[in-house]
Amino acid sequence: MPVWLREYSWRQTGSAVYLSLPLRGLRVTPANIFCTDQYLKVSIPPFLFEAILYAPIDDTNSTAKIGNGIIFFTLYKKEVAMWESLTLANANKEKLQSLRENAVLKAHEKAKEETEAKKVTKQEHKKYALEATMKLEEAERKRIEDLKEKERQKVTKELELWRKQQKDAEKQKRIQKEGELHEKVEQLKENKKEKINKTSIPDEGTSKTRLKATKGHGSYGMFSENLKEEQLPAPRSAATIKINFTSRVFPTALRESRIAEEEEWLRKQAEARRTISADLSELEDLKEDEKNPDWLKDKGNKMFATGNYLAAVNAYNLAVRLNNKLPLLYLNRAACHLKLRNLHKAIEDSSKALELLTPLVPDNENARVKAYVRRGTAFCQLELYTEGLQDYEAALKIDPKNRTIEKDAEKIRHLIQGTTQDS
Amino acid sequence: SGLERPQVVSHAQQALSYTLFDCKWVPRSARLLCLGSAPRGTGLLQLYELRGGRLALLREIEKAKPIKCGTFGATSLQQRYLATGDFGGNLHIWNLEAPEIPVYSVKGHKEIINSIDGVGGLGIGEGAPEIVTGSRDGTVKVWDPRQKDTPVANMEPVQGESKRDCWTVAFGNAYNQEERVVCAGYDNGDIKLFDLKTMSLRWETNIKNGVCSVEFDRKDVNMNKLVATSLEGKFHVFDMRTQHPTKGFASVSEKAQKSTIWQVRHLPQNRDIFMTSGGAGSLHLWK
Repeated sequence: MPVWLREYSWRQTGSAVYLSLPLRGLRVTPANIFCTDQYLKVSIPPFLFEAILYAPIDDTNSTAKIGNGIIFFTLYKKEVAMWESLTLANANKEKLQSLRENAVLKAHEKAKEETEAKKVTKQEHKKYALEATMKLEEAERKRIEDLKEKERQKVTKELELWRKQQKDAEKQKRIQKEGELHEKVEQLKENKKEKINKTSIPDEGTSKTRLKATKGHGSYGMFSENLKEEQLPAPRSAATIKINFTSRVFPTALRESRIAEEEEWLRKQAEARRTISADLSELEDLKEDEKNPDWLKDKGNKMFATGNYLAAVNAYNLAVRLNNKLPLLYLNRAACHLKLRNLHKAIEDSSKALELLTPLVPDNENARVKAYVRRGTAFCQLELYTEGLQDYEAALKIDPKNRTIEKDAEKIRHLIQGTTQDS
Repeated sequence: SGLERPQVVSHAQQALSYTLFDCKWVPRSARLLCLGSAPRGTGLLQLYELRGGRLALLREIEKAKPIKCGTFGATSLQQRYLATGDFGGNLHIWNLEAPEIPVYSVKGHKEIINSIDGVGGLGIGEGAPEIVTGSRDGTVKVWDPRQKDTPVANMEPVQGESKRDCWTVAFGNAYNQEERVVCAGYDNGDIKLFDLKTMSLRWETNIKNGVCSVEFDRKDVNMNKLVATSLEGKFHVFDMRTQHPTKGFASVSEKAQKSTIWQVRHLPQNRDIFMTSGGAGSLHLWK
């Protein structure tokens, strides 16, 4: 049970209530004081002071001054009136309880509102700061732009001035040339007359040049140009220089970042060619040709072309037994299986081919596209359209320009959508 | 207040409706030439003039085959003939005042001419005017516009050697009438230096990435610096003044960008400054 503090004194004016509460020897902090608009409590366990005020007060502006052993409250009334007493007289326990609860709720709400208001002001401050920085940056940018623009204008002016100068110089030259031409025509007429007069012509060349030379600056330009032409050396005697190139297997340009991958691919290819399983006894009966996987591959291709798919498969099978690392064998065998409608085998072979066609270099792009397309077709024929579509899209990724693949992918998509709609 | 680092300021821009492969200033003028391929597969030459901060189209000339590259390097200042290489392997020299018929024409290569350079013209340097073309057919040929049909030098692969695309060519060391070198870069990373005076291969190296562009800092002086740019954002600067008998020329290299560096061009006013242009649309200025 709390110890109630009942020693208090109060006085009032029309607009305020002054309450002093003595607390001998007790340390008070603001946390001990709780006040809403009609309820005041001071709780310093085990001591307790509680007052349900006669009329509502403005609790935000009211103050509590904590002094030496006494709290001095200044409570501003909401309504200007004289209170008959500090507290409400007729307060029963229930009313008290409900009032207390209300008070607490109200306090909570007020606290909430305050935090909200604080948040809002913080946001506004942030926004303001942001806008201010943006303005500053904008101003800086504009300053730089203006500098650049000024520079540009300056250069433009210089250019225009220079152009004008060129034009004027050209005009002058043209006038000069016209004058020159005129003079030349006159001179030619004179020379003709001279020719007729003179019977021997040995000095004609020199006399002409002498006359030309004395003409002055006008013709000097032409004369000097002729001289310069003769100063140019004759065209070189034709020769060929033979060159060698740093070897490169791939037709594409060399890129440093791709060197590692390309090396790996080449190594794999080289290894694949070298592995020949030597201890298959049946192979002893075969001719030299038939032991060469490449020759068998060609045979298989030919038989595929003529439509003899079973024979082609046999050829590829033998080639695979000899060398199971050549991706093209699996790729071509997959095509045969497709034609023979051995769809699961076609899928197997395409997958094996794709496995062997790593790392991904531009060199094996064609092969990979074919592998994806063949596997996709097999899936579709098995009605596994989603897997088929995946493979077609993989093929498109490597070769986006291929229209047939695009069209087929569209068809599959429609099929899928058709079936999902039905179900 | 100025800015701390040099800035690149865009002076004028022009949107084009065709693929542009090469662009050259017309010497001693405010005009520039754009060479490329029209959407319907024909060649296009456009002549622009820089007026008041804008580009004004003066002439447009259409040719049969798309044009890949061009140069004014081998022509005199009065004539200002343009030499072009096109997709069909043809080398033409055009008089832009009368562009219907070329002044010089030869089907120099079996495949597209990727790169062209000219030397001996424009009043710069000495010696015969010469044009060098590098082509996808793996050969580099030097032409003299006064000699029809046959090149004055042909750098071709040995019989039986599989060819590599030549992507770029440049003249250098043209400091007197006899001396000339041609530098060629190939798609397999090879850089070869041919000496035209002795008609021999003077130096070769491989920079491990396809070579997109080579340029000497000046083509009419004793060869000083050579910049070679390549795929994978790298470029190399070679010191061409001293050739080591086995190691060749000393070089430094820099990985500047994440993408291909397509071109390098030195500043005419200061040969220590050059600009590289990159695949991501970036321009870098180096010193």
